[in-house]
Amino acid sequence: MIKRHENYKELVLRLAKTDFKLRYQGSALGYVWVILKPLLMFSVLNFVFSTIFNFRNSGTPDYPLELLTALLLFQFFSEGTMTGMTSLVNKAQLVTKIYVPRWTIILGSTMNALFIFGVNLTVLSFFFVIYGKMPSLFGVIMFLIYAALLYVLILAFSFLTAPFFVRFRDLGNIWEVLLTILMYASPIVYPITMMPEHIRKIILLNPLAFIINFAKQGLINNSYTQAIDFATLFLGIIVAVVLAFLVFRKYEKKVAELI
Amino acid sequence: MKQKKDPKSQNAISVKNVSKTFSIPHDKSSTLKGVFVNIFKKNTSEKFNALEDVSFEVKKGEFFGILGRNGSGKSTLLKILAGVYVADSGKLDINGLVSPFLELGIGFHPELSGRDNVYLNATVLGLTEKEIDSKFDSIVAFSELERFIDQKIKNYSSGMQVRLAFSVSIHANRDILIMDEVLAVGDANFQSKCLTEFARYKEMGKTVILVTHDIGTVQRYCDRAMLLRNGKIEMIGNPEEVGNEYIKQNMSDEERRIIKEQDQERERIKKERIQVEKQREVEEKEAEKLKGRQKEEEIKRIEDEKIRQEEEIIKQDEERKRQEEERKNKIAEITKVEFLDKDGKEKNVFETGEDIVARIYYTAKKRIEKPVFGVAIHTQDGIHISGPNTRTSKFDIDFIEGNNFINFIILKNNFFTGNYKFTVALYNWECVIPFDYQDKLYTFKVISKEVNQNGLIKIETLWKK
Repeated sequence: MIKRHENYKELVLRLAKTDFKLRYQGSALGYVWVILKPLLMFSVLNFVFSTIFNFRNSGTPDYPLELLTALLLFQFFSEGTMTGMTSLVNKAQLVTKIYVPRWTIILGSTMNALFIFGVNLTVLSFFFVIYGKMPSLFGVIMFLIYAALLYVLILAFSFLTAPFFVRFRDLGNIWEVLLTILMYASPIVYPITMMPEHIRKIILLNPLAFIINFAKQGLINNSYTQAIDFATLFLGIIVAVVLAFLVFRKYEKKVAELI
Repeated sequence: MKQKKDPKSQNAISVKNVSKTFSIPHDKSSTLKGVFVNIFKKNTSEKFNALEDVSFEVKKGEFFGILGRNGSGKSTLLKILAGVYVADSGKLDINGLVSPFLELGIGFHPELSGRDNVYLNATVLGLTEKEIDSKFDSIVAFSELERFIDQKIKNYSSGMQVRLAFSVSIHANRDILIMDEVLAVGDANFQSKCLTEFARYKEMGKTVILVTHDIGTVQRYCDRAMLLRNGKIEMIGNPEEVGNEYIKQNMSDEERRIIKEQDQERERIKKERIQVEKQREVEEKEAEKLKGRQKEEEIKRIEDEKIRQEEEIIKQDEERKRQEEERKNKIAEITKVEFLDKDGKEKNVFETGEDIVARIYYTAKKRIEKPVFGVAIHTQDGIHISGPNTRTSKFDIDFIEGNNFINFIILKNNFFTGNYKFTVALYNWECVIPFDYQDKLYTFKVISKEVNQNGLIKIETLWKK
């Protein structure tokens, strides 16, 4: 057994920190973009769907809060999967010039998205105060559990795709398109209650939609899914991340030669 | 139970039967479309054996040098030791943590400041933040980059980057240092600093593996050395012997290259001649054809054309004949020059200190009284080093006639490494009319073992107080 590295924790944190620093370097507003970007997107969507489509007065009184919550979760997912998938290529130097366990690169890169999501949660709580909405403690706990599950899902996706992205750069473009589809296939801009019962079931088969829907429902309407459904999701995601990691371990060996 | 052993006798690295093959696809498709398009085509890829059945051991506290030409598998081996590549087969055992230094820098990010890069780099090498904080000043001091440490790395020169990366990598304080060509970029001052540092590492019982082209460094500092060639171990052991073998190998490779080049040149000239010959044949045939065609209206025009072409051909023939005549009339010429060592073996690459015999073959059609042979030696950039002739050397030749040769001998040549151009000429006694003059037509090469000597030639010197 060859020992290659110790201090994984510091390494992952350092990689995340570096990414964060690099990301906003050379921009005038710098770190402000962390919260500015989701807020701008929120303003646009809120204007379109609250004012023009008037979701607010058709059964979803807390539409802006629902929209913002869902949007933050979705952006967390899209940001995380995108950086996770491209992380090995973007940090090719760490792959080809030295050995660090490659999973630390994936973890470090996706953590950046986690961190941005964390910062944005404070903005979200600020909005809850403005709208005078007080979520239940259980709702908050469930929300955090869902967020954690979402992060594990991001990791699963990243482990699975990162070694293949090295070889097939098309995956980046394909995923971008799929993300747009996923955004509208999840109850983000529209409340799920708008959909007929049988369509709802299909939509909720998608774990991303499931997480987004029930995370915001718990937080805002204090309504939750059945335990059996939650358990299925939980186990499914755990199995997915384990399998993805095994695939990753198999294919990471050749990555240094292919980059 | 752990057995206490003399640390010097323990292996730091043990490599057993390690092989690594790369498959090089002829058309690398890195898009999905490429894959789909190529799905029906035969997958053409070449196998390249970067390492074949390599086995060796490095003891703890050893300074181990690896020599080899480009493409001999050095970098692949280092990358396997560092864990970047995974070997196809074989067993690898590494006892201790490795601090690799492959190519220029590691994990350096151009957009980050030197300071941030030090932290990033050191963390990658396994240091904790606390450790980096305490070592930071020493890292910067060693790299001598205090003034630039808060500037972005992209504004650093490559030498500065290497200095910083090297400084971090030795401060990582790991058990095994793997250094690839670290000395190549730094200036002399930094190089000596590196070597001092390696010596200190060795004293601490740590292991240093150094890959370099600098034979002198290996011979002077390494405890043991290994020579790789085409992915195989050619020799392993005493650095003096390994270094000499490497020089020898380079020389014979160089020899083969020069001979090949000269063969190609000859081939080219031959082909050109055949081309000219063919051209002439074609022209003759065309003239025939024109003769055969006798259309009434065109007769005159064709006739004119024919005459013009024939005249041209005649002119060409005359020109050729004239040249041949001139060649025949050349009273004497130098037919070729061969370079030999003192045992009479033909070769083109010599070591400094060896005798170089230039054998000049000539043909004299007529008896030439008191001829003078002259030579000149130039560097590749055209600097004239020397140009003796038989008259100035008081080597009087009464006459020459027929085919023969004359030897020009450079005794114990004192050239340093380089290519040298050789000019020969044959004059009459007054040295006015050359019978033949071949300007820088021949090349020989010298390789010096005294690697740290610079300049053109070695001179006898003495230091006195």
